[in-house]
Formats: sequence, C-alpha cells, structure tokens
Amino acid sequence: MSSDNKVDVIVVGAGPSGLSCAYTLAKKGVEVLVIERGSYPGAKNMFGGIFFSPWIEKLFPEFVNEAPWQRFVAKRRISLLAKENDVSLEFKPNAFNTPPYNHSFIVKRSEVDQWFAKKVEAAGANIVCEYNVKDFLYENDRVIGITSGGDEDSLLANVVVCAEGANTLLSEKSGLRSKITPNRRSVAVKENIRLPRNIIEDRFGLEGKQGAAYEFFGSSVEGLLGNGFIYTNVDSLSVGVGFSIDDHIQKMEGKNPNDILEQFKNHPSVAPLLKGGETAEYMSHMIPCDNFDRLPTLYKGGLLLVGDAAGLVNASFFHEGVNLAMASGVFAAETIIEALAKKDFSAQTLSQYKQRLDKSFVMQDLKQYRNFISFLHSHKQFLNEYPALLSDILSDYFTVSDKPKGTIKKEILGKIQKKVGFGRLSRDLLGALRNLV
Amino acid sequence: METTPAGNKKLTLEDKLALVKTKKDSISHITVDETKCLKCQNKPCLTICPSKTYEEINGKIVVNYENCLECGTCRVACTDGAIDWQNPRGKFGVAFING
Repeated sequence: MSSDNKVDVIVVGAGPSGLSCAYTLAKKGVEVLVIERGSYPGAKNMFGGIFFSPWIEKLFPEFVNEAPWQRFVAKRRISLLAKENDVSLEFKPNAFNTPPYNHSFIVKRSEVDQWFAKKVEAAGANIVCEYNVKDFLYENDRVIGITSGGDEDSLLANVVVCAEGANTLLSEKSGLRSKITPNRRSVAVKENIRLPRNIIEDRFGLEGKQGAAYEFFGSSVEGLLGNGFIYTNVDSLSVGVGFSIDDHIQKMEGKNPNDILEQFKNHPSVAPLLKGGETAEYMSHMIPCDNFDRLPTLYKGGLLLVGDAAGLVNASFFHEGVNLAMASGVFAAETIIEALAKKDFSAQTLSQYKQRLDKSFVMQDLKQYRNFISFLHSHKQFLNEYPALLSDILSDYFTVSDKPKGTIKKEILGKIQKKVGFGRLSRDLLGALRNLV
Repeated sequence: METTPAGNKKLTLEDKLALVKTKKDSISHITVDETKCLKCQNKPCLTICPSKTYEEINGKIVVNYENCLECGTCRVACTDGAIDWQNPRGKFGVAFING
C-alpha cells in the first residue's frame, strides 16, 4: 500500500469474481488490494457444489492438476420427484472421465477460494481479511475509496470493484441498485454429511476421483420454485435445497428452510443415499435471480459491480454462477487497465466493462434464459402436476398384470386427456422447449 | 435416539447450529424497527430465516443474532424495511469450512 493511503484498485470481496479481477490486474503490475470480511477467503461463502472451470483454467492452466477439488463430475442425474417416487435421467459419458473432465468439479469453496487467493497474492496483490467495508467514499457522485466506519479507517483508490456477493448491502448504498426484492433472490441451505469414502463410491457407482451430481426437481422443495441437490465430495456429501424467497413467503406458512431440507432428506428416493451419514456442518446463502431484465446498473464513476453483486448468475437448469463471476472479474480488470492508461475513471470509460459483458457468453446466456423463472412462475404445473402425472403414468405402464397392454395404453391416454388435455400439454411442452431448455 | 427414515440420528435445528463455527460479537449486527414489526401481518422473518434468528415473544420480535448464518435472506424478505442488517464486524460471525 502506498504511504498516502491510496492504491490503484480496491476489490471488496475475495470470492471468484473479486479474485479473478485482482489476479488479472496484479499480473499487469497494477497495485491492487483485496479486502475480505471473513477470516479467510471462502469463510462466508457457500454454493451448491459444482465449479464450472473454463475461466479459472484460462487463468491457471494448472487448475486441474493442482487445485484442491474434491471430485470431478463423472455422472449427472436429473430426477423429477413425485411425492413418493422419482423419474430420473442419468448421464455419464465416458468423455467426462478424462482431463479436462468436462470442466466440472465438485469443490468446497473454502478450499478452492484459499488456493485461488494464494495465487493472487503470488501475482503481487495484497489480500486483507477480517475487514468489513461499511461504505464507499464519494467525491460528488464518484466513488473514491472505502471506509470501515471509523474516520481513520478509510482507504482511497482510483477504482473500487464491488465483489460483495449476493447480499448487496454496498451496491444498494451506491445507488446502482435499489433494495433487493424477494423475487430477485433464492435462499439455499446445505448440509455437509460425512460418509466413508468407500460407501460413497459403492452407493453412487464411482471409482477414484469420479463424482456424482444429482439434482432433484418437482416436489423436492414442496412445489416451490427451486430444487434439491446431492453432490459427492471425497468423504462427504453436499446435500441441500434452494428456492425462491418470494414463493416461500407466499406459500410456506410455518415451514422454515431447514424443515424443507429435512423433508427433502427424508424423501424415499433421497433417504437411502444418505444412510449412515453424519451431519458435520449446516450453512445458508442467497442466490441471485436478478435475471437479464432486472440487472442493476453495473458501473458508475470509480465503481464496478462484478459476480453475484452484479446479479450475474445463470439461474436456469445450469445453475452457473462461478464461471460467469470469474469472467466478469476479468472483464472489469481489462476495463480498469484501459482506464489507468487514460487516467480516466469516469462512468463513460468504465462503460467498456458492460460492452465486454454484452459481447460475451455472460450476457448472451442470461438473455437466452431471461424467461426461465417467469415461465415457471406462470406454469407451476411443471413443478407439481407434471412430475406427479409422469410418475403416475409410468407406474401404470410398468405395473405387471394380466390386463391387456392395449387397454393399459388406452387408460393412460385417457388419464392424460382428463387430467391435462393434449392441447394444453403440447402447448406447455412447446413453451418449455422455448423457455426452459 | 430419534432417527430419520435413513436411520440417521435426527438433528434439531439447534443441533445443526451448534456445528457451525462462529465467533460471537458482543453487539448485534441486526436491529429491528419495533413499530414496523407491530404493524406487520405476515412476519416472514419468523419462517424464512434458515437459523431461526427471529422469534416472537409476547408480540415482540426478538433477534437471536448469534444464530445468524449471514445469508441476508431476512432483509430481502422484510419488504417493510424493518430489519437493519449489517455484516458482522471483521473477526466476527461465521467461518464455513464446507461451503
């Protein structure tokens, strides 16, 4: 840090977006200070469990060989849960079993974030932990630094990068976004459940470093807009549920997220997978569902928002957050490098950040799935009625009896026509094709 | 011992919270505006919080801030703006290991 209490760039938050930004800047010799409120990077972080790695591999080609990931995703399973049954689709192509392992790794955030932070420090950035940024400092409307609240505890910078995460206290203060509303966030709760390594491998059909990612839709979360998941670590499982806060407020009188998690864990299709496990930790976190159409303004003079703080999460079936966060951090850094060369930190110059995002997969993917959440909100039958019906007709179809198969088929078709109607079903399926996949 | 359908030991929410590594501050990072809470019909904070940080005792909202897992969901759910939620001071609050 310079003696005059000023650095080129301050990054608030040592998660994937903040660290990618700091790394890219430090590599170019820019003086950068990362401020993290937790005792270590990752201490305040929680995610489901899959780290999509194309962007971290761009920064560190050694990621696959060196990083402390738990398992690579060899097998994906998507289940539609009905009350007592499930209909599942499992996908385990052999190509996932060799490097680069489809760029999908099951990780613990505290492990990977700390590994990442060490790389960032080695590149020349400073990281300070256990420091809580209370607000930005302003000159007119331009951000010129940060403060922890005390008069003497302030630091100046040419640019501040806000990588504060999904709970956007600082971004709201900056005026770049209004107070978060319940329809813009999901809440997720997760347990780390310990199980011996050999039991995990036998139970999920894994060998060596292979891992499994099981995702559960339908009645996994009581018909709320959300889902449940199980990801295999080396010798534990990440088991959790996440759902829309808005939906929960409207429907779930008396049931808290822990109750919904317990119900998920007790589902007949889930419970046997957890048998003998011992819960070691319980965590919660919010997930941005800002969506393409409700993103905040992403920059102003002296300030850029990145990662979850910017709402850059593909909240569709893909649940992709870290990869977008890292791309945004790199784009922010590239923009700042130009701004430093021009010595111009105005909103006009920093608007190049938005241009970069617009041209990349980040905004293109958010745009592609812009209607995902609203479609499910207005077509709740995909969460409740259809999984139940699918399970029901498959039960009918495969139930063994001496009833002629032709009669069974006719009954099933009659059931579909009566319960849903083929007209509505085909309209809904076309809508799903357009908006969900 | 109470068990789950998987035959595992059944944990209460209190049991689970005891597993979380936290450093408790002497002052709360959460305050509520009682006048707004009194007028609030649904009180979503009581059910949406994953760690039962909020309790209603004799009609008043009591904040058990030491239970907080720092997700911030309560602040989002409280559309009346009755919850003032700040990050805990540096050094304090949760430290997740398996996040």
